[in-house]
Amino acid sequence: MDTDDTVLEFGSEHQPKMKKTIIHPIACFFHLIFRVSALVVYIFCGWSDAGFVTSFIIILLLLSADFWTVKNVTGRLLVGLRWWNKVAEGGESAWVFESRKPASLKKHPVYKAESMIFWLGLILPPVLWFLMLFSALFGFNFHWLAVVVVALILNGANLFGYVRCKFKSRGQIGSLATKYIGAQLFKSMQSSEGSEGAKPSSTTF
Amino acid sequence: MADFQEVSYNSPIEGEISENAGNAHEEDGEELTTLDEPVKDTVLRDLKAVAQKFSHIVYPRKNSVLLRDWDLWGPLILCVIMAFLLQGVKDEKTGGGGPQFAQVFVVVWVGAGIVTLNSQLLGGHISFFQSVCVLGYCMFPLVVAMVFCWTVVKLISHQTAILVVLRLIFTSVGYGWSIFASLTFLGDSQPVGRKALAVYPICLFYFILAWMVATYS
Repeated sequence: MDTDDTVLEFGSEHQPKMKKTIIHPIACFFHLIFRVSALVVYIFCGWSDAGFVTSFIIILLLLSADFWTVKNVTGRLLVGLRWWNKVAEGGESAWVFESRKPASLKKHPVYKAESMIFWLGLILPPVLWFLMLFSALFGFNFHWLAVVVVALILNGANLFGYVRCKFKSRGQIGSLATKYIGAQLFKSMQSSEGSEGAKPSSTTF
Repeated sequence: MADFQEVSYNSPIEGEISENAGNAHEEDGEELTTLDEPVKDTVLRDLKAVAQKFSHIVYPRKNSVLLRDWDLWGPLILCVIMAFLLQGVKDEKTGGGGPQFAQVFVVVWVGAGIVTLNSQLLGGHISFFQSVCVLGYCMFPLVVAMVFCWTVVKLISHQTAILVVLRLIFTSVGYGWSIFASLTFLGDSQPVGRKALAVYPICLFYFILAWMVATYS
């Protein structure tokens, strides 16, 4: 019973806060604006007679602005995750997937609403681009196919990077939790063996 | 996007406040992390890195630290400028046009990718993106040459022998500069015996770009 209590406490501490607040409205805006407008420009230019080159450049600049913003800014502000590439002395490149440690997670909590915006904004555009890929492929629009491929690469890289961050962090928290539970179980067993009437509050923190 | 850094007030405020703010990460038990850095710093750091790389192409000199933090902003900008200036030209008389925008794009990126793949297969100790980054940034002299050619063509509207000579001179200077700069950065990453095998495709890559610049601009 005692261990159950502490485990629950441990879990709730690091869960996203349930408050429906958005404390980074500007970050949320920039997280969505570039990728959404790239899609809108693509769809709009496919229908209208706008020049290919102009729309290519506009979409490309929007996509790269989005790539940079999502990779470097909104990810760490909204969900506390970040990924980047590190090159060692010998030329081996390593990908670093970083997530907030529990200590700083307490100071900068992840809000539910922001996390929703982040992940939906991260996942939906690549899915839509993937659909565009098929429409361009079967419509034999090879010029536009180049745009879609660039979009898929840029959006997909961010999606992949953040999914890796997420899973790595979840794995870490999971292993931490099991370690902690193990320690608590061991402690409580010891205390129950030693003295039957040990106060439960001694093991909670 | 103001993200104000939180200074922890657990410790009494003393000494230099700015230093305390900088050490806030370490108090959390996080070593070198950029998760809490203000957005302005992130922007400025990347802008500075791009500017520094351009300055290293203009005056090529070895810098292993610079080589290590790669980015693809420079290649992207150069590629867009190049593709944009090349695609507009259409030769009315012969009916042949310049390369399409998307074609220039594909030539630059796929070309840089293949050259990099070649140097990796030869056993060069440089990462894929580093090499693409260097190859992309080293297009800078060629792009400058192309802008010169473009201006000259705009100034002198009819084809003359001087124009052709001028374009050839600009392009070959740009070509030489690009090769020199890229070899300064990439030369050491190849094993000694196979250097020529790695250098040859680089020369070929820039030759194709220089050819496009010389003939179509």
